[in-house]
Amino acid sequence: MRNKLLHNPQAVIGTLLIAIILLMGVLAPFLAPHDPMAVDITKKFLEPCNEYPFGTDQLGRCVLSRLLYGARYSLGLALPILAFLALIGTTLGMLCAWFGGIFDRLMTIVCDIFMAFPPLVIVLTLIGVIGQGAVNLILSIILSMWVWFVKVVRSYVLIEKDKDYITAAKISGCSGADILFSHILPNILPLLVVYFSTGIASIILMISGYSFLGLGLGNDIPEWGAMLNSAKQYLYSNPMLIVYPGTCILLTAAGFNLFGEALRDILSPEEE
Amino acid sequence: MIEVRHLTRTYLSRRSPKSKEPFVSVNDVSFSLLENTPYALVGESGSGKSTLAMMLAAILPPTNGEILLDGNNIWALSPKELRLMHGEVQLVLQNSQGALDPRRRIYESIAEPLRKLRHLTRQEEQHTVHDILHKVQLQDDILMRFPSELSGGQQSRVCIARAMALAPRLVIFDESVSGLDVTVQKKVLDLLLNLRQEYQSTFLFITHDIDVALYMADHIFVMKEGKIVESITDAHGYDDFNHPYSRELIESLPPKTPYNR
Repeated sequence: MRNKLLHNPQAVIGTLLIAIILLMGVLAPFLAPHDPMAVDITKKFLEPCNEYPFGTDQLGRCVLSRLLYGARYSLGLALPILAFLALIGTTLGMLCAWFGGIFDRLMTIVCDIFMAFPPLVIVLTLIGVIGQGAVNLILSIILSMWVWFVKVVRSYVLIEKDKDYITAAKISGCSGADILFSHILPNILPLLVVYFSTGIASIILMISGYSFLGLGLGNDIPEWGAMLNSAKQYLYSNPMLIVYPGTCILLTAAGFNLFGEALRDILSPEEE
Repeated sequence: MIEVRHLTRTYLSRRSPKSKEPFVSVNDVSFSLLENTPYALVGESGSGKSTLAMMLAAILPPTNGEILLDGNNIWALSPKELRLMHGEVQLVLQNSQGALDPRRRIYESIAEPLRKLRHLTRQEEQHTVHDILHKVQLQDDILMRFPSELSGGQQSRVCIARAMALAPRLVIFDESVSGLDVTVQKKVLDLLLNLRQEYQSTFLFITHDIDVALYMADHIFVMKEGKIVESITDAHGYDDFNHPYSRELIESLPPKTPYNR
């Protein structure tokens, strides 16, 4: 398994990118040359120099420091969101597929209703009602995405539960819980890990996207999407202010996508 | 030991949901099986053999009728009792590769029924697994492998070992050897005959192959379109089959020498 990961260039690049972003976030206080919030209007739009390696923005804040701290926001928001979604999706998806019947039908109807709304509509409405802020952003992203996770897990379990080894497990005296947790879950886990790691990429894009639209986090917060938002006015005069956070978002999303796709190739049981 | 009374199973056809007429897979089947006896059930594909096997193994509830194990209707048992009943009645499925969890090592697959249905210590469990492994003529080194690393013959031996480890009173083999090539098939059948002698279990071989049935058992049921059309208690050759459908089955066999027991 480890060897396969090391011999897969996608996996190596993906892991490296994720590791770099994680390190940026964790080590931000030590690596950042300045306070990311410190405003110094006399130093606005500085060219890159020794003191400010990536220059400063329209309020004289250190761009490098803001980028480093930005990793904390992207991952710090995306990971708890993913954890919630994975928990809700796996639990409800497995229950629906296993028990079927009226519960499954009701859930399918609820899922279809939620899926009929574009996520943007849900997020706009929610943030309009409960206001801006990190917690509200988390809540609204969870609310707009949970049905997709339920549906995916449900379909994986439905495929798995008709296989012969499940019948064999019943004959071996396994109870329903035994089968769900010790047979079905280990067998769909690789598929779920792939879905979750590509899911985290889209969550990061959502967080940045909503911040860019001014829905998520305020402009003072060094989140990459919010940085894009405030830099867009200076697109012609200072294009690098857009390029830096944009590149960060691109690399993070690409890292998780590459990692997820490589995992799918490695974990598919046929090739074992 | 086990008695089947008026067992019926119907399915609602999915292809034509409008038709109210359900498809009858097993139709009013009655028979009884004695302790420590080999039986065979012959029928073509779609005759309801597998459905019957699933009902006997308490995986699929019958639409009508009852299955009595020592006089108790198994489908009247509580779910937990039904689960524990698998210690007495085991089923070996046709597709042995599919019947093994692809993410489990062989040891775990064989030990699972022991863990769920018998209360053994770690040592007793290991002892039982090694013992049954030698009885199905497999080497110790496969225990740590995954199902996909075994040959078809090894996989079906593992499935047999998993069922026999419990020393059940009734074992149903649903086309368990039909996927194997002829030489391997013969070896597995001989192995099963020996195992049956040793464990004194009742075996029910479900097969489409009249030669296999004759080789494995004296008492043969012939099934057609969900019904048992003929039951022969002392079958030794083709001449013992009398029902027109049984004759048809025999006449459609390709010319070859039957197994000589």
